[in-house]
Amino acid sequence: MLAVPAIAPASVVNATLDPPVVTIGHSALLTITTLGTGTESTIMPFVGGLEFRIVSQSHRFETIKGTTLTTTTIVVRVTPQMVGTFAIPGLGSAGEPVTLRVDPDRLVANYSPVTHHGSNPVPVVATALAENGIHLMADGAAFVRLTVPKRQAYVGESVPIEIEVGLRSEFVTALNGLPTLIGGDFTLNNLSRQPERSERSVAGKPFGLFTWHSVIAAVKPGGFAFSVEVPLTVKFSTRPKADAQIDDLLGDPFLQNHFGPTVTKEVKVSSPATELTVVALPTEGRPADFSGAVGSFTIASDVAPATAAAGDPLNLRLHVTGSGNFDRVDSAMLRSADRWKTYPPRSSFSASDALGYKGEKIFEQPVIASQAGVQTLPALEFSFFDPATGAYETARSAPLTVTIEKSLADAALTAPSAGAPAAAAAGLRPDHAVSGAVASSLVPLYLRPQFVAAPSLLALLFGGAYLGLRGRTPRDHRQSRAVARVVGQLQAAARIGDSAQFLTAACTALQPILAARWQLAPEQITAQEIGMRAGRDGDELRALFELADEVQYSGEAFSAADYSRWTRIVVEQIAAGQSS
Amino acid sequence: MTALVIGLVLAACLVRAQSVQTGYSSDALYNLANSYARAGKPGMAILNYERAAMLAPDDADVAANLRAVRASAGLPAEPQAWLEPIERAARPATWAWSALIGVLAVGSSALAARLTARFRSLRRMAAVAGVALLGLTIVNGVIEWPRLHAAVVLVAGTPARATPAPMAEPLFSLPEGQTVRLLGEHEDFVFVQVTTGDRGWVSRASLATVVP
Repeated sequence: MLAVPAIAPASVVNATLDPPVVTIGHSALLTITTLGTGTESTIMPFVGGLEFRIVSQSHRFETIKGTTLTTTTIVVRVTPQMVGTFAIPGLGSAGEPVTLRVDPDRLVANYSPVTHHGSNPVPVVATALAENGIHLMADGAAFVRLTVPKRQAYVGESVPIEIEVGLRSEFVTALNGLPTLIGGDFTLNNLSRQPERSERSVAGKPFGLFTWHSVIAAVKPGGFAFSVEVPLTVKFSTRPKADAQIDDLLGDPFLQNHFGPTVTKEVKVSSPATELTVVALPTEGRPADFSGAVGSFTIASDVAPATAAAGDPLNLRLHVTGSGNFDRVDSAMLRSADRWKTYPPRSSFSASDALGYKGEKIFEQPVIASQAGVQTLPALEFSFFDPATGAYETARSAPLTVTIEKSLADAALTAPSAGAPAAAAAGLRPDHAVSGAVASSLVPLYLRPQFVAAPSLLALLFGGAYLGLRGRTPRDHRQSRAVARVVGQLQAAARIGDSAQFLTAACTALQPILAARWQLAPEQITAQEIGMRAGRDGDELRALFELADEVQYSGEAFSAADYSRWTRIVVEQIAAGQSS
Repeated sequence: MTALVIGLVLAACLVRAQSVQTGYSSDALYNLANSYARAGKPGMAILNYERAAMLAPDDADVAANLRAVRASAGLPAEPQAWLEPIERAARPATWAWSALIGVLAVGSSALAARLTARFRSLRRMAAVAGVALLGLTIVNGVIEWPRLHAAVVLVAGTPARATPAPMAEPLFSLPEGQTVRLLGEHEDFVFVQVTTGDRGWVSRASLATVVP
């Protein structure tokens, strides 16, 4: 029993904790100062998860006006055994608790490691039956109890369980981890990270009680035995057992472990095995859309908004409410529906308990109406296995009706309903008088296929005609070239004064033209032939051919005027011949 | 000569085909846009102004009211293209006939060169004029091309999403009346780009294309 100054009725107590926040593995100093007239003893409060050890104690006596006042100061080292916020009651100035917050060490998620005295913790099975199905460890330092509400379950069914760990703070110095499930093909889901803390008296001894809630789910059928295991660090007294029994009789935790040698060991405490029979889900009557949900569920559906424009996405929601394995609750909602475009749904779950065993799962599916008018969304279905009835159930929601209006894009050419003039209308230019010019499309005319065909066809026609005429030289081009060639020959002869050559070139140039005109061979064109066919119109030509014959023998020379005159006659005849 | 006759016949047919009784009128679209602007619906107003501008880019009233409604809706002014004076010089129909005349002029000039060596200057002038008319029409088409692939946002705060799905992550939101460029489409969504360069998928129901 710890003797500390009594908190007499007239006493004033002040307690400070330094520091108020520690990490696991460290200690805080609790300084309790009592100002009063007596030195009565009291017992330190029991707080599960905290270890108290007195470091120093001092008394000071003062006599003021005949009254003796006693000031007692006790310094207690407070060592946490686990993370959390602990309230040490009855020490504050107004009786309120002093609070110590214990944070986890950075290297450890929840529980601080304690001094390790061996590579493998010693497993200890709680076997000593105490009361209410509680099996204490052999030395009575701790117990672990697993509570399963049923002895038969279905594959996939979530079964809520309760794990209780009772610790005597004077023996158990640290809780080194979360409970784990041993044996059986079960998954331990949603184990609460922070246990509920309370106190319980078992076999007349005070125990700090830590309670976890969780759900287990079997993955295959069969009969299974399983238990829960918790790692602890326990102080073992090395005193003779007879002495320890005396300590137990005293019942003071501080005395028990302060006096006498002790050693610490890491042990794992297990609960007694619990048996559970797992039954496979029946294959008969299994709905096609069964996703593995086992439990008790109800569904409801809604859609928002109730009125929308064609093409606007609507949010169709399916609410699945109840209890069971929500992780297997799934729904494809509407896979396809006439006049509706559907998208894959997404889901969210909000639990109504800490385990996620009860709650509501909401599936949201965007749907888009393809047509305007009053449209109906078909009823939604959800299938599950109800372990209470041992049969598959299919829940159905009611069909939903929504009003789909014409889309904004379709209404763009419809005049708006009259309303209050907007501020933007103030600076607008006035309306136009509507003329009769109407276009069938807003696409520019030159980009419409029927118009582009016209210039394309024209271009093709022009191109074809151009290529067709490629082999032909323009007539006047040919004329000019022929005349130029002959004139060149005539001028060359004239320049050297060779009248014979001049006349020969002239006759040679005229013979093909006249031959073509009269359908003769060029060598048949003579002065006589010209006289016969041309008559008086051909006098100049006939004279030219006769003169050509004469000059061959006479060598008569021409004047410049003669050359010019005969040249003009030849050019005219060539031009006339080609044009005909 | 035959090509010329065929061209004139085709043109006459097109003139007749274009003169339809029902369709779009720039004046009617302009008045409709004014009605929406007065009703406080800038998205619909801008959409119809844009459509009126397609038919009558030279209409100063359309351009002025479009600017006014954009400004009153808090939208940034559309950037002006340096070739825009060409767009406003004439209506698309005029450019179409200019292109047809241009083809006729160039083709006739080329054929005449095959047939005669005379009138060389006249032929060259006709060819240059034809090419110029064709070129101006092509430039007008290039200017109009973005508008042919533009759309106007009709719903304020329309989300532009990362993927074409209703529940996809929204990247940014578009104000009502914002003109966007259409880059692609997938089912009920279109991929758009705004003037700042941002891109995203928008529900088809939240906007309307300038060219229906």
